[in-house]
Amino acid sequence: MSLRSDNRRWGSVARFFHWIMALAIIGNGIFGLLMDLAHGPMQKINWLALHKSIGLTVLALFLLRVLWRLIDRRPPDEPGPRWQQLAAHAVHGVLYVLIAAIPLSGWWFNSVAGKPLQWFKLFNLPSLAAKNQNIADAVFALHEYLFWFLVAVLVVHVGAALKHHVFDNDNVLRRMLPFGRPKNRL
Amino acid sequence: MKTHLSALFALALALPTIAGAADYTLQPAASTLGFAGTFQGAGFNGTFGKWTATISYDAAHLPTSKFDVNVDLASAKTGDKDRDTALPGADFFNIAKFPQAHFVTTAFRQVGTQVVADGNLTLHGVTKPVTLNVTFKPQGTGALLDVAGTIKRLDFGVGGGDYADTSVIAADVKITAHLQLAGK
Repeated sequence: MSLRSDNRRWGSVARFFHWIMALAIIGNGIFGLLMDLAHGPMQKINWLALHKSIGLTVLALFLLRVLWRLIDRRPPDEPGPRWQQLAAHAVHGVLYVLIAAIPLSGWWFNSVAGKPLQWFKLFNLPSLAAKNQNIADAVFALHEYLFWFLVAVLVVHVGAALKHHVFDNDNVLRRMLPFGRPKNRL
Repeated sequence: MKTHLSALFALALALPTIAGAADYTLQPAASTLGFAGTFQGAGFNGTFGKWTATISYDAAHLPTSKFDVNVDLASAKTGDKDRDTALPGADFFNIAKFPQAHFVTTAFRQVGTQVVADGNLTLHGVTKPVTLNVTFKPQGTGALLDVAGTIKRLDFGVGGGDYADTSVIAADVKITAHLQLAGK
């Protein structure tokens, strides 16, 4: 269990970031879609506050994850067709952009709607923009469209990982699994 | 004797104005009645657009001074659509049942250099004592009057039920009023 990545697998720090963020992003995405099920306005206020707090946590984890990526070298690509390696890198790049853009668009929406932004009732964050109800609906739509775009990209990401694991039976998913062991390379 | 009588009569007429506090007329356009609360850790300010105040005041005759204020609660505005929709509702002011708030002083006290007004505030059907700091500055025949105090919203049942959670909506609400008064 090395903190840093080596030639055969992702280090435990990179794996921690991957899975904790996967859980938070998917969970918070579903939670966001369920907001209208709240019983009464106060529960909705509290649910929204939780949704915002989790989203800010994802954004903070993203920053730490990028910093760690600068320090930690990633494992070299598994053997495979060049186009698949390039496609995987492209998908990862888009995921990184979306992981930052979705919380930031939520923060932007919160700002133009003129709402306070509090992290788990502990401290408040400033607005990213002045209150402007005229663009609030459009910014909210952007927040939602970015999420649906993320879902589409995740289908490719998860689908490819499972394809490698199940059909190719190779190391691509295994080297990122929290408790899995990479196969010995022949 | 006759001159003495008329002098006494003149003095008797003059006495109430000497011994009592002066009456003032509120200049609504130049006056504000505001409140400030905290929601999710962020302060917000509100104002009441419609209110009336009957003010008698003399710093030298505090016992005869009196403030009597009526507030039209439907006129509360905080600049947030959701909040301004919620405030008149049953969970907060419940203006259908309690359209007005009323404050009337019961006594004035001098605390050091600060004048303090004790009074009763009736809000949301509940009457409780409230204390306000008073700053009165005579200006010609009129005056500028500033008052400030803090009330606990739950003392008056404003924002009860689910809204009683003071970690979301703070318990304290600051009341401030700036009154431009004209002499009568």
